[in-house]
Amino acid sequence: MATNFDPPSFGSPAFEPPRVDPAFAGDATVEISNVSVWFGPKVALSELSCSFGAGVTGLLGPNGAGKTTLMRAMTGLVDVNQGEVRIEGRDPRRERKVHGRMALVPEDEAVPAGLTARQFVHYTADLFRVPDREAPERVLHSVGMLDVADRRVDGFSKGMRQRTKIAAALVTDPQVVVLDEPLNGADPVQRLQLIALFKQLGASGRTVIVSSHVLNEVERMAERMIVLMHGRLAAAGGRHAIRDAMDDRPRHVLVRSDDGRRLAASLVALESVAGVTFDQMRDGLVIQTVQARELATELPRLARDSSIRLHEVRALDDSLESLFRELVR
Amino acid sequence: MTAPTTSQPTPTARRSRSRSRFMAIVIYTWQSCMPPKRWLAILLPCAGALLFGLLARAVDNFPTRERAFANVAAEGIFSLVMPIAALVIGDSVLGAEVRAGTFHFTWLSPTPTWQIVLGRWIGGSVVACITIAPATAIAAFVAGAPSAAGPAYVAAAVGSVSYIALFIAIGCITRRTAAWSLAIVFLVERLLGAALTGIAQLSPTWESRAIFVGYLDDPPQRLIRAGIPQGGDAIIRLAIVAIVALVVANWRMSHMRLSGASD
Repeated sequence: MATNFDPPSFGSPAFEPPRVDPAFAGDATVEISNVSVWFGPKVALSELSCSFGAGVTGLLGPNGAGKTTLMRAMTGLVDVNQGEVRIEGRDPRRERKVHGRMALVPEDEAVPAGLTARQFVHYTADLFRVPDREAPERVLHSVGMLDVADRRVDGFSKGMRQRTKIAAALVTDPQVVVLDEPLNGADPVQRLQLIALFKQLGASGRTVIVSSHVLNEVERMAERMIVLMHGRLAAAGGRHAIRDAMDDRPRHVLVRSDDGRRLAASLVALESVAGVTFDQMRDGLVIQTVQARELATELPRLARDSSIRLHEVRALDDSLESLFRELVR
Repeated sequence: MTAPTTSQPTPTARRSRSRSRFMAIVIYTWQSCMPPKRWLAILLPCAGALLFGLLARAVDNFPTRERAFANVAAEGIFSLVMPIAALVIGDSVLGAEVRAGTFHFTWLSPTPTWQIVLGRWIGGSVVACITIAPATAIAAFVAGAPSAAGPAYVAAAVGSVSYIALFIAIGCITRRTAAWSLAIVFLVERLLGAALTGIAQLSPTWESRAIFVGYLDDPPQRLIRAGIPQGGDAIIRLAIVAIVALVVANWRMSHMRLSGASD
């Protein structure tokens, strides 16, 4: 698994990439080679090359980056206009048997109407000829849905639907698990449990690909990340490399306190602070910094020493979009 | 929550026997593709068939009740009610699911596409055989023409079943299944089929009429159309239409681009 952070690469035409390229996993089960997908005039993926191996890989990118299209191309739901997708060396569009080795949890809320969670999971087990008849009950238990397994899935909340779809995906014991925004709608406790579940799947040697536009969420479960932007590969590497890349960029932090004027005067003395402005709209100070980690340590200390109460500390550009903008600049 | 590989003790599975893929698809078609609203949409044309039965009873300018029912059924039931009921069923078993974004739960399995197509078709056909086909037969009784009930059932069942195959094929080709199906029924079959015998020969509307008329004891001459096979020959013709439609559906299904409900 690649651990180095590389500058943005915009797709490599070479089929066999060099091993050092962090976009490629050493033990790849999913290979994306020079893939382009377009829907009419809209290009969803452009000459994308990367691969995924055992363990959890985060697929990151802002909305519209091409994450869902890539996942659909991986599973064969969408035919690629150019390039190749290989799952364990086989084309998922042409060899239906390869679907027996993989599972997709789609992002959209659509679930089969009229079925209970138990019926839905059993249906999937039947389609995949799962020999273990206890497996549906076990996976329903795994995602915490056993108690409500006899309720209809179309009456579930978004989080419950996601967990039911995860159960249906896992009942087939897939080698490749593709999860499109799987934590959407889950409450904080469920998030922790699902993250633990995905990490366990990755640790058991499965290829787990999790998409999200929330970096904090993904870095808790994925060691490796692939970052997409406008359908292209923006960055790839270990989570620390991605996080460091983010930390080294100029960032803006909003601080609301009970004494903004005094806090501003103290902040300008800090080395980690490049500038401070007062934002009337947000009713707080906006600190510009290139050393976010240092600021995170110094700010609470400064507030405590100055007896200033902090009401809110929030990174204004902590979103992936800002990171992506920096990465592709 | 734990990974399935390290499971905790759980209650015993409710269903201990596994179903074949094919049976799973057929049962899924009944359980999921036919929600209550769809049943209502299917039962409405069935009620329409019964109303046409009442209408046939009310008209008195035909020499026999059978002839009155034959005329009303040919124009009302086989040309209007049956295609609509079949359209609702045919759209439910595939097109609506593709639009809703739930079809990929089936498609993304190692199940051969022919099993999916055949399973959906059989699931839909059974629904037609227990709804619109008996409604058509009951309409014959309502009209006071019990001898026409058998031909009416057979014609409605064969017509619906071939229509469902056609609509499944359309569902595999386009996302706008309902619109294209309506266009085919009312523009191609009704308009062009009325003028061109070549189209009528391939049309479930015209051929189901021909089945019905062919099996009547005393068919009205005006309903016998030259160049169209009658009775059993019409059944064979519609069987061929259904088989061709299913083959096309199977071929198209492996090439479907399932971009999801949100797209």
